[in-house]
Formats: sequence, structure tokens, C-alpha cells
Amino acid sequence: MRLPRSGGRSGRGRTGRTDGLETGAPRIGRSVLRVAGVLGLVYVLLAGSLTYWQVVQADALTLNPANPLIQAAQETTLPGEILDSRGTVLAKSVRLSNGSQLRQYLTDPSLGPLLGYRSAMYGTAGLEAAEDGVLVGLAGQSESDLLLRKLRFRPYQPEDVVLGIDERLQAETERLMAGRRGAVVAIDPSTGQILALVSSPGFDPNAIANPATATASFTRLSSDAASPLLDRATQGLFVPGSVFKLVTSIAALGSGTITPQTTYPDQPAEEKTGFLVDGYRVIDGHHPFTGNIALNYTQALEVSCNIYFAHVGLALGGGRLVQWAERLGFGAPIPFDLPTATSQVTSGGGPLPGGFKDQVELANAAYGQAQVLVTPLQMALVASAIANGGVLMQPRLVIATRDQNGTTHPIGPSQWRNVVDPATASTIANAMEQAVSSAWGAPFAGLGKVPGVPTAGKTGTAQLGGSGEPHSWFVGFAPVKGAKIAVAVLLERAGSGATEAAPLASKVMADYLSLQQAAGS
Amino acid sequence: MTAAAARNARSGVARFAIRPALRRREFGLLAIVAATLVVGHASLASTEAGRLTLGDVHLLGAYLGALLVVHLAFVVTGRRMDQVLLPVVAMLGGVSLLVMERLPQDLVVQRFGGHSFGLADLQFGWLVLSLVLLGVLAILVRSDNWLRLYKYTWAAAGIALLLAVFVFGRDVNGAQLNLCLGPVCGQPSELVKVILVVFMAGYLADTRELLARSSTRVGPVRLPPIPYLIPMGAMLGIALGVVAFQHDLGSALLYFLVFLFLLYIATARLTYVVLGLLVFLAGSGILYELYPVVRLRVDIWLNPWADPQGAGYQTLRALYAFGSGGILGTGLGAGLPSAGGAPAIPVIQSDFVFAAIGEELGLIGALAILACYLVIAERGLRIAATAQDDFRALLAAGLTLVVVVQAAIIVGGNLRVVPLTGITLPFVSYGGSSLVANALVVGLLLALSDRGVEPPPPPRPRGRAFRSAGERIR
Repeated sequence: MRLPRSGGRSGRGRTGRTDGLETGAPRIGRSVLRVAGVLGLVYVLLAGSLTYWQVVQADALTLNPANPLIQAAQETTLPGEILDSRGTVLAKSVRLSNGSQLRQYLTDPSLGPLLGYRSAMYGTAGLEAAEDGVLVGLAGQSESDLLLRKLRFRPYQPEDVVLGIDERLQAETERLMAGRRGAVVAIDPSTGQILALVSSPGFDPNAIANPATATASFTRLSSDAASPLLDRATQGLFVPGSVFKLVTSIAALGSGTITPQTTYPDQPAEEKTGFLVDGYRVIDGHHPFTGNIALNYTQALEVSCNIYFAHVGLALGGGRLVQWAERLGFGAPIPFDLPTATSQVTSGGGPLPGGFKDQVELANAAYGQAQVLVTPLQMALVASAIANGGVLMQPRLVIATRDQNGTTHPIGPSQWRNVVDPATASTIANAMEQAVSSAWGAPFAGLGKVPGVPTAGKTGTAQLGGSGEPHSWFVGFAPVKGAKIAVAVLLERAGSGATEAAPLASKVMADYLSLQQAAGS
Repeated sequence: MTAAAARNARSGVARFAIRPALRRREFGLLAIVAATLVVGHASLASTEAGRLTLGDVHLLGAYLGALLVVHLAFVVTGRRMDQVLLPVVAMLGGVSLLVMERLPQDLVVQRFGGHSFGLADLQFGWLVLSLVLLGVLAILVRSDNWLRLYKYTWAAAGIALLLAVFVFGRDVNGAQLNLCLGPVCGQPSELVKVILVVFMAGYLADTRELLARSSTRVGPVRLPPIPYLIPMGAMLGIALGVVAFQHDLGSALLYFLVFLFLLYIATARLTYVVLGLLVFLAGSGILYELYPVVRLRVDIWLNPWADPQGAGYQTLRALYAFGSGGILGTGLGAGLPSAGGAPAIPVIQSDFVFAAIGEELGLIGALAILACYLVIAERGLRIAATAQDDFRALLAAGLTLVVVVQAAIIVGGNLRVVPLTGITLPFVSYGGSSLVANALVVGLLLALSDRGVEPPPPPRPRGRAFRSAGERIR
């Protein structure tokens, strides 16, 4: 190794003969000061990230369902109850003589997918998991509460959770759904309050909560081909078929692409030959009685004309269709008390605006086929927005919490989105009413009518390709003016919307309205 | 040896002329510490009992008693030392005692002659032993020659210790850390950090001028004088190699950072820091490729949510603890010590003790703990800046850095600022080796701060700085 300088250096040092401080070796004091500065910065950084976790992220961390604190809090305190809107206890915890605790549920299999379960062996799921922080008393405390918490001997303040569900409606809906696969979502359009949320088949949460039956039940339920543990209403994604025409309607009328008077002159002829889009034929033919009449918007919705809506979709363009659907909640998980699957208009990735693959996909999507996939909750929201004059309220399962002093703290209602102008909403609502009541519409959606009440509705019969029955859908609300309930009914592979989903929806709406009437009188 | 004998005789004389001197500031600060700890203990006992009570104050009382004894010993011997360090260390140790009393006692159990001792008992024993060691060092060390003159011997001893662990060591959590003598086990890497600082201070004091001023030319590039770095680099390399091989990544990181800081303090050349960081990056890259452990730690650091029940478990649990602590904390005893029979955070008593503090004492309490380390930094670096010669300055700075940087490494690991490396939080984590080693550090710092301590030897003739043999002859 070459050391060109060291020799000369040491030579000079020998003649220099002074100590380090005077020969110009850097002063230690100064570099110590700099190091002190660096250490100071490092500690400021640490203090900053401490503050981030303990202040900014504190609530998110504390209420994370995976947080063991929730489990532990539950060991010392009994979690709060879950009540329906009328105060019926849906779930409560009891302390057993051996010191352990047991969650007890009202016996109603539809409560399984909705409430989930709270089990010593399998943890929590569903609403029990989502509201765990509140139920065991970790949530909703202000800093002053937290200060007081330090001074209390019992640190946790479990709260009860009040749902917008009417258990009578929920149970009746469950009875109607018994033996079928599907989901029903009922919502109050003016408040966003969920009135019933049923996924079928369901399960009795007691079976998992009770340690004696937990393992056997859980094994059976998780291996069941009908997936009873899945909440179809919020997590299931289904082809919507014609009920999606409501979304296309909102987009087309809302954006001014069509007016209620818009007709497509070629449409009557295409009913017989099919509507040729890029070599693909959109076929229809289920309403021969309209003959040579070029249908306007209302008539097209009444008879659920696929060709009309394929034209509308092409006129609208994929970009706008996707954009308007997103206003309704498509394209992202809906902010809700339970985790939700993301509804989609297209799988995306295609070259056309909105991500459509080609014009064929767009034309088919416009009447609810192709790659359109929706959750029943999403379709209930579509009905709800139309029923509420174009304003979409924030959907809420939990309408209030009740603390240990018995004080109720309401949550909402709040507006979520302003989707479309009231006139457009009213136009679509009228068309939906015609679909249920008019001579042309009745063969399709007539069974969806609530006797004696003006009812708006739209059926869907979602073709799934291959053999087998289509999904049967009905989306609607009643009464048409000042709607009290909007519903989305899905019956998996049950057949046509007109004969299966529509009558069921009618019963659910009628039940609720009569319950309301009974309460009012 | 005649000079040394004369010096010993001088300090012997000094020992006869003891003039007690009050240490009012230290006493006042200790009183505040004692009051804080008593309140903390009462809060813990009340939470656990469910009613207002002072609880069992035996351990805390004895701890405070030991503090008083050390303080009085300083007063009686008339030592004119720093008056802040002892109270700060006392505070950290006291918080440690409270936390250990609060955690499940069966986290660590040892049996001595038919009696079994739990977490708090053992930590109390180590704390008292550490205080005694700290006091004895602070009072009795009157000369630094025993450190200054034998730096290579110390370094050799340190490496020997590490190698002994390597050969005879026992595994702790996948890392080979412990060396056992009969029933007592210890982590030599804690002691080695002190030894390394002594060596580096001695070496840099001798060579800093050369290191600061001269360079090695490689073609047109001016590099630091590599030959002068070789002995120290070799020593550090061996130490790093051994601890890295033992998967003791925290210690490796600590040694390296302290080395870089000291090198900068000695030379004021940023080139060293930049080069050092480059070496560090390269080394980390190699370790990342070579060791699955390192890869795992980095992956967890980047995304602990990837495997919440497996690899990310500890880190996430710590974050939950910080989150539930919030600004004010749950209060001692009201947090989450265990979930389902197991500790909520694995090794909460040592690597994750800061998370326990964050939960129960909140942001306020955790910030106060961080502030304690900053106070140690301020006092220690002040001692360094006002030291009488280079060796003492570098030694004081190195000792301070060892504590403060170590705290930053583990706190940063807890907070997901840097990847987690298992290392103790000085004076707070459970563990005898850590407490004893850090007491050694503070004891030496106190001794160095004593204005009555023997002045350093006169500067030696230049030019032989590099020839260590010359030192011993002198």
C-alpha cells in the first residue's frame, strides 16, 4: 500500500511536538456539539412517530378487530347488547357460574350472517367483529373520558348497539326466504336505515357461540356448499340482469343523453332480427305485444326492453356509465357497518372509455349482463336513491349506541351522495311504477305490487350462461311518493324475476308497511 | 511501573483527606424521582386491588433506600461529580421496577436455594447490584490509566468474551447470546459494548490527528489514511462479525453506529461518516441476502400486516399497545399484560418494554422516558466537551452514545421507524447484563465528570502515536 503522505506527516509531527489541541487537530467540543444535534434530531423523530401511533392512529389501532385488547377487555367486562330498532334484544352476554361468559342470540337463522358470532373458540365475525370496540367499551371515548378512565377502577365502558333492523320484519323475511339461496336488503330511503338484511341460508349464531356445539357447528357450516357463513347481502357479487337498467337510466337521463321521450326508430325491427353490434346480436323478443311501436324510455323500462337499453348504453358511452355508477357506490367498497364487496360495471382493462373491452360489452352491460356484478346492498341503494329524489343517504345498520347510563347516542342520518336531480329521479320512479302497474308492465313486475299501495319496481332475470336457472331479482320501493321502504331481492338461480323475486319483495314491503301502520294507529 | 506506583500513592493520600460536600441538586432531583415513583406505585397497587391502597412497597422502598445510600456515599466522600445523571438513571430504573412489578411475574422465574424469584424480585436484585456498582465505580475510579494504557488488552478480552459465547453460548430467541457460569447467565455483548468504547477512545485519542489530517491517495482519489484505520477496523470487524454470526443484530448495529459517531467526533471528517454509511448499506445488503433472519426483519418492518398471526405478530401487538395507550395512557396496571394466558407482546419485559410504557403511561409517559435519554445525552456530551484531554473526551462521548444510541435503536424498532433488532432499553428492560453494563457506563461517566479526579498524563511526544508498544514503555 502506498502511503505518500503519512511519512511526511509524521516527520512534521515530530518537529511539531505539541499536543493535539494546538497542532490543529479538530476540536472535539465542536464535533461533540454536532453529534448532540444529530441525536436530538433522532429523538425528535422518535417522539414524532410515537405521537403518530399514540394520537393519530390511536383509534384505528384500538378498534382494529385483531387487537387483543378487545378480547381481553371482554374477559373482564361483559360486552354490550345488540338491539333492534324497537329494543328487542338480538344478542346479549351472560356470565356463567364457572366464570366464563356466553353470548346468547335470539333464535333466527338470518341473524347469523348479519350479526356474525362471538365465540371463545372462533373469535368474532360479522357485526360482532365490526362493532367489537364499541361493544366491549373501547370506542367512542373522548380524551377527557380517557383521563377519567385512568381514575376509574373499571376501565371499560361497554355500550349497547342499536340496529335499524325491525326484528319482526327480519324474521318474516327469513321465513319467506327459507329453503332458498339469496338475499334481501330493505332500507328506509329517507334515512338510510337498514330495516332488514337477510342472507339465506343463514345459521344460528348460538351454535358457534356455545362451546359445546362450536366445533361441530363451525366445521359443518364452513364446509357447507351453500356457504351459510357468507353474508350474500353485502359480500355476494351477482349478475344483476335487468335491474341494472335503473343504473343505466340514472346515467342516461341524469347526463341528458336521453330524455323520457327518446325513441330508437330501428328498435321495433331489431326486436325480430336482433340488434347487431360489431357482429354480435343483442336479442330480445320477450315483449312481442309492443309490435311496431318505437318505445320511449318509460315504455322501454315497463317491458324491460334490452335493445332499447343497449342503444342507450352505446349513446351514453362507457366512461359516463361507469362514472354515474360510481356515484351510486360502484367501484369501491360501500362505507358500511359491515365489510362490503365492490360492485362493478366492467372488469376494466379494456381500451374503451370506462375500461370496456368493446362495444359489445358496453351494449350488454347497459342492460345488466356482460361483466356487471353487484351486491344486493348496492341494488337496494340504487332503489333508495331513486325513491329519495336522487339523494342517497348513508346506509346504516347501527342507528345508535347506548351507554351504561342508558343514554342513547344516535348515529346519522346523514346524506352520502347527491346522485341525480329530483326530476330525473321522479321520471324513473314513475317508469318503475308503470312497470309494476301498467298493462304492459304487469306481466313482468306486477307481482311486485303491494296491494293498495302505489309501488315502484323493476325485475331482473340474470342470464348466467350455460344451463341452469337465471338469478331472479326485484328492486323497488313503496309507496312511490314518500317511500318508506326500498328493497332489493335476489334469489340465486331461482328463475325469472317476475315469478320469484317480485312476489317475495311485495310481501316484504307489505309486511313493513302494515307493521308501520299498526305502530301508527 | 514506578510512575504508576507514585500515582497510586497520591490517590491514596487523597483518600485520607475526605471532605464531605452536600449535593443539593442531586438530592432535590432524587426527591422528585422518589415522589413520582411512589405515586406510580400507589396507582399500580390501587388499580390491581380495585381500591385506593399503597400496596406492597417493600421493593420500591428498598430501591429508594439504595438510591439514598449511593447519594449519601457521594456526599460523604465529597465527590464533585455530575448531579443529574444519578437521578435520571434512578428514574429509569424505578420505572423499570414498576413495570416489572406490573407484568406477569412468571415471565422470568429463577430458583435459588429452594426459593423462587419472579420478574420484579430479580429485576430489583439487578437494579440494586447495578446501583452499587455505579456508586463504587464513581467513587473509587480516581485515574483512567487502567483503561487508557491497556486498550489492546481490553479489546482482546472483549473479543475473547464474544468468542466464548460463540463456543459455549446458549440460544435465546434464535440468537446465540447467553454465556452461563453456573446458574447465572449473562449476555457478554452488553459488556463488550463498554470494552469496545474504551478501546476506540484510546485508539482514536492516539491517532485522531493523523486520521483527521492525512489521506491515502489512490490515483486521483484522496481517501482517509487507511493504514491507520486498520487496527480499529479489524477490531470492530471481528466484533461485528461475531455478533452478526450470532444473529445479535441489535448489538452489531449499536457497535457500528457508536463507532461512526466516535470516529466523527475524533476527526470531524464527514468523509468517514459517508464511507461508513456506504459500508453499512453494503453490509446490510449482504446480510439481507445471506440471512433469512435479516430479510424477515426487514419484511416485517415494511409490512407487518402481511402475516399478522406469524411474523408480524410482535410488531403489530406493540403498535396496538401504543394505540390503546393514547395520550394519557391507561394507567399503570390497567393496560393489557396478557391475552389468553400469554403475554400480549412477546418479550414485553425486555425488547418491547417501551411498548408497555407507551400503553400504560401514554404518550406523556413515553415522551418523558425519551426525555430521560436526552438528558443523559446532554450530561454525557457535556462531560465529553469539557474533558481535560482527548481520551477522556472520547471515552465520555462513547459511553454516552452507547446508552443513548441503544435506546434509540430499540425504541425505533418498537415504533416501526427502523427494523426491529433485539436489544434492551437501557436501565428499563429486564435483564442483569444490560443493567450491569449500563451501570458500568454511568459509573465511569460520573467518575470522568469529577473535577477532583487525577489529571490526565501529559501529552506524549508525537510521531509514535501509532506505535502502541511505545505507550507501555512510557
